[in-house]
Amino acid sequence: MKKLVFLLLLISSVAVSSNELTEQNCNADNLANDCIPKLATGFNFLKSYKVNGDAKDKVEYSYVFTKGTQYMINVCANGTATDGIVVNLFDKERNKVASSKINGQFVSAIAYPCNATGIYYIQYTFDEPSSHCGGSALGFKR
Amino acid sequence: MRFILLVTVTVVLFSCTTGKKPDEQAFLKSLDSTKTDGPGVDEEVINAILEQIPSPLEISVLLKESGSKYNRNMLNSSNNLPKYNSNFKKALNLGIYGTDLGYTNIYGQNQDGIKYISSIKSLADELNIGQFFDVETIGRLATNSKNLDSLLLITTMNFNQINHYLQSQSRDNLSVLLLTGGWLEAMQITCQTAVKNPANKELQEKIGEQKIILEQILLLFSFYKDDANMASLSADLEQLKSAFDKININYTYKESTMEIVDGVAIIKDNSSTTIDITPQNVEEIKTITDSIRTKIIS
Repeated sequence: MKKLVFLLLLISSVAVSSNELTEQNCNADNLANDCIPKLATGFNFLKSYKVNGDAKDKVEYSYVFTKGTQYMINVCANGTATDGIVVNLFDKERNKVASSKINGQFVSAIAYPCNATGIYYIQYTFDEPSSHCGGSALGFKR
Repeated sequence: MRFILLVTVTVVLFSCTTGKKPDEQAFLKSLDSTKTDGPGVDEEVINAILEQIPSPLEISVLLKESGSKYNRNMLNSSNNLPKYNSNFKKALNLGIYGTDLGYTNIYGQNQDGIKYISSIKSLADELNIGQFFDVETIGRLATNSKNLDSLLLITTMNFNQINHYLQSQSRDNLSVLLLTGGWLEAMQITCQTAVKNPANKELQEKIGEQKIILEQILLLFSFYKDDANMASLSADLEQLKSAFDKININYTYKESTMEIVDGVAIIKDNSSTTIDITPQNVEEIKTITDSIRTKIIS
């Protein structure tokens, strides 16, 4: 019985500390800020987004895009380029209109010349293995 | 021994299933129970709506690119500052002056810009959010039109920080007023410019597109029906919505195509919107917008 209690206490402390570690390690604010200067030349900064997907399979934001404006959304992560973070863009009817994963290839930014004004959903998903932690910036140019 | 085992198992299960510590759960629960004192909606819901509304500076950039000339008479004079005695008016006019500052910046009108910075700082201090306005930095950025990107960055970040702060103080209605003031001012400037340039179809369409933004703003106001000032402004905005209801925005979806160029996914958007708006619609929207704005700035 003592062994069982010890084992459970050990598992418990590992589980608690691993949760704390994940929360401490993901500084999505910093990663979002890091993304801002990485917007391509000519794009004006609009928004930065935290992509903290701890225990989530997606993170989503929305923004009104307007016709005649070109938008850029990039992704920043610790370590490897995008660390499995994929940014997908959906229109108001939830049709996917853009993705940073094309034919299995990940890219760190998408450029979207908007031809239809409306609410768009900017959704971040994670291709495993991923630490589910990153940042992103949205910019525009006319 | 059974008790220790039970506690241990509970802790393990809790850690595995929720990813949050028991204290954190209790804290979050307590936060939920206090939300009844606020507008009765989750902070995340309000934030999500606030954050999807474009910066008025986007419209100002379009105005400059359309070739329209700078016109300070369209802006709210900084001399009106002493008139704003209530928090309701202070917040709305802080939003208005923010848009005016952006407009002067885009046109490189530094002398006018400096006046707005001073008014903005005064209103922000009076609303107890002056700590979010670093006048020196904003002044430096706003008086150099090459710094539009930095000005957008700092104003956007400020707005996010102010939102969180106001929400933590149960004053999130002020965030909505800041945003509404800024939007109304951009609308007013765009309408005046469009009326003077009736051949500019793009400006008319830009006004028509604001139907989508107004719907989101009205959604925000619906959370504050018990506030007499908010309800009164909401009624005015409903009148504006009636004018916008005459405008049709037709959306046609077509699958987009993508290619990778230099590590960036370049999208070709094959969808489209058409906006049915006439100069008469613009005139009506302008009249109502002017009337609402006059109430706010007077």
